[in-house]
Amino acid sequence: MSHTRKGRARALQGGATIEDIAASVDACLLCGSCEPVCPEGIGIASMNMEQRSKLNKLRTNYPPWYPKPSGINTRIKDNALHNSIILIAGEYPGFDIKAHSNVIKLLGGNKKVSLAADDGRDIAGLLEAGLPVSQDRIDNFIRPLRHADKLVVPEGLLHVPLRKWLSGKKVIGIGEALLSSAHIRKALGPEDLYIIECRGYHSDYERLVKFYDRLRKETGCQTNLDLQRIAIPTGASSLQAKKDVEAAGCLEQARWIIRGRSMKRIVVEDIADLDVFQRVADVPVIHISQFSGDNS
Amino acid sequence: MHIPVFERGIIPPDPVAPDSLKGIPRQKTNPSRWQGDNWQDFVRDLQSRGVTVCEGRADCSVFMTDAGGVAYSLPHGVVRPNSAEDISKVLRAAQAHRVPVTTRGGGLTTEGESVAFGGLLLDMSSMNRVLEINSDAMTVRTQAGIFWHQLAEILRRDNLDYLSAPLNLTASVGGTLGVGGIDVNSPRLGCSADQAVVLQVVTPTGDIVNCSERENPDLMERVLFGYGQFGVITEATLKIRKFTPITIQYFYYSSLRTAIEDLQFIAREDASDYSGILTILDRAITLLVAFDSDEREREFNTRWKRSLRGHGEAGFGLRMAGHYTMHPWRIKEAAYIIGRRFKLFPEFWRPEFMHHGKIIDRTVVFSRAVWKFWGGPQMVIPDLSSKAEKFVEAVERGNAVCRKYFRHYTLYCVGIKLRGRLPRYEMSCIPPDASDIAYGCEFEPMLRGTNYSRDYLQSFKNEIYDIGVDMGLSYYRFGGMMKGYIRRAMGDELVDKHLAMKKAADPAMVLNAEVIF
Ligand SMILES: Cc1cc2nc3c(=O)[nH]c(=O)nc-3n(C[C@H](O)[C@H](O)[C@H](O)COP(=O)(O)OP(=O)(O)OC[C@H]3O[C@@H](n4cnc5c(N)ncnc54)[C@H](O)[C@@H]3O)c2cc1C
Repeated sequence: MSHTRKGRARALQGGATIEDIAASVDACLLCGSCEPVCPEGIGIASMNMEQRSKLNKLRTNYPPWYPKPSGINTRIKDNALHNSIILIAGEYPGFDIKAHSNVIKLLGGNKKVSLAADDGRDIAGLLEAGLPVSQDRIDNFIRPLRHADKLVVPEGLLHVPLRKWLSGKKVIGIGEALLSSAHIRKALGPEDLYIIECRGYHSDYERLVKFYDRLRKETGCQTNLDLQRIAIPTGASSLQAKKDVEAAGCLEQARWIIRGRSMKRIVVEDIADLDVFQRVADVPVIHISQFSGDNS
Repeated sequence: MHIPVFERGIIPPDPVAPDSLKGIPRQKTNPSRWQGDNWQDFVRDLQSRGVTVCEGRADCSVFMTDAGGVAYSLPHGVVRPNSAEDISKVLRAAQAHRVPVTTRGGGLTTEGESVAFGGLLLDMSSMNRVLEINSDAMTVRTQAGIFWHQLAEILRRDNLDYLSAPLNLTASVGGTLGVGGIDVNSPRLGCSADQAVVLQVVTPTGDIVNCSERENPDLMERVLFGYGQFGVITEATLKIRKFTPITIQYFYYSSLRTAIEDLQFIAREDASDYSGILTILDRAITLLVAFDSDEREREFNTRWKRSLRGHGEAGFGLRMAGHYTMHPWRIKEAAYIIGRRFKLFPEFWRPEFMHHGKIIDRTVVFSRAVWKFWGGPQMVIPDLSSKAEKFVEAVERGNAVCRKYFRHYTLYCVGIKLRGRLPRYEMSCIPPDASDIAYGCEFEPMLRGTNYSRDYLQSFKNEIYDIGVDMGLSYYRFGGMMKGYIRRAMGDELVDKHLAMKKAADPAMVLNAEVIF
């Protein structure tokens, strides 16, 4: 069965049911790269999520990598945050509280930047799986964010929904946020391979393609953009990869990204890419938050 | 007009079918679906040899049409081969059970040539690996199901590039070698098919054979431009070159004839590395000229540029303004040209595809523009290819047909450098009387937003193809729905010669059975 969006559309047109194409619907890593290259400008990534949710209504036997549809009701106490920038970043290995405070410092310090206690990770998981998220949970998540001008969100899958839920707010990825500082940009050079986080990038492609092009021209760094200027994904952030990074094809993708390149360092925006590139590359791999005066 | 009455169940000869409207001849364009005799035995046979046949509705429906979106049908099953051996097993079983097999690469045909009207569909996109890059010999050996774009991605890591390929991202190497493959550098470098050095082919009877101009040259000559009649291409060794960014210059014309004469002048003089004509309306014609190096561009500027009669953008804008001031009732036309200009041209200089004023990734830039502005769920792209001397007349006549049928359309004209008169050019898109450089013109109506009936589109194509018959030209897309023209355009003698070769190579006539014969 074809795993392309067009293949799925044709299959349905030809009378296949959504269950017939379940394997293909489930296989999508939601990297979003199909969207900017679609000549018809179709919102393919959101259509894929809708297809997943349609499929879920018809089945109880979910793929093993699905989050439990447990009706999570996380109630994280977050008072309204009054700073102009809010960082919505949970703790991960390699991106812990210390890293958060480094990011906050790089973005302008505690007076300007707040850290949200609720990173919406469960919401992202449910959305990705096409499972319902209660309005209550969404409200709870976005309530503290209302006063900010800018949200810095490493989890690219949340960019589109946050733009919808909090219309008018600027939602950007951690890479864009940090690279706005000349100090960080100066730390990059032609011997760096810079790995752009795919989901956020593709969700705001027309703007970001220019942003990263300027970065490339200014610093000479290499990137994971292909000839169409689509960010080649590893898929490491996907639910499938959280279950089994190898089976999700992430290592193979990472190998393809570095193939034939000469570089001395890999810098990743997506914390999940850290592990993947460390496993396949023989050069140091760092997360962009690790840039500071001394290691840059 | 007398309409014969036929008993129920009897299929009458074309052109008048019993269900057609009285007095209106209707041409049958699609073959009937193969009825499935021996299908189950065939599938069992293949399964016993370890080849999986996918028969699910979802698997088959994916291939229900091609890029044209006009011809529709379903195969009985699909095989995604992993190797030439898989294909060999398929074809041996197909001969034994007389099951039709249709080969499909990217499915970018527009006349249903890659649509299976029943039988088995061989989805070559599963064979998409690059096997070897030889930067000393400057060749790449690749599996033939790979898309040109994937190939470009891989070659670029070594700062290399292919020579010429169609202006779209998802045509496969095998499918393209089977039909020709024309690029804006074809006036200089020829067709994609002429870039092939060695091929691995599975013949219709299942033999796996290597061929080149030295080894099995007859097979090589039959398979290139062969529309998949004489074998399935499984591997290709192609010439490659160093990657270069390009610079483009545009010249604007309000006369098709002048633009074409200048295109031919450039091709004849070998004055540029790339050239082609794109029209917005037949009053707004762009001649695009591009260069791989500053030296070539400098030479063009000093030696040939002054001889061209096209204008720069500002000069052309002023002339157009003058024209429409004198013809104010045509102001809508002017608005269309301006609107189209402002949408289309920025696509060619998007900053992310430019570096120091040069276009990097020209294939991406052109292909994106092609899909964005000319692509759509339905596409008809009839074409005419001719020798230099007849080309202006052919385009002007084709343009008149377009104007009769559609408000908006584009013509795309390009030259094709020939390598002498090779046997592969016989019964192909290369016109029989062309030498040195042949020329092709695609007539592409803008179909978006209007639901034209199939019959309307077919009538349009027929009128374009009638010009070809009348003038002794050829066509890029002469199979599938247009195969009714093959005998008329190419003559019985040539067609019978190829039919005899086909019958000898494919005794059960199973491979791409309905595409040409
Ligand atoms: C928007 C658009 C733009 C285009 N632009 C160009 C252009 O600029 N230049 C140009 O030359 N063409 C162009 N074409 C036509 C198209 O690119 C060619 O027909 C194409 O190269 C076909 O490649 P494919 O892989 O899609 O082949 P398919 O459509 O899959 O097949 C083409 C034919 O070859 C046969 N075939 C497929 N694979 C094999 C194989 N491995 N071995 C043997 N036979 C095989 C098929 O049975 C079929 O008869 C365009 C088409 C579209 C829709």
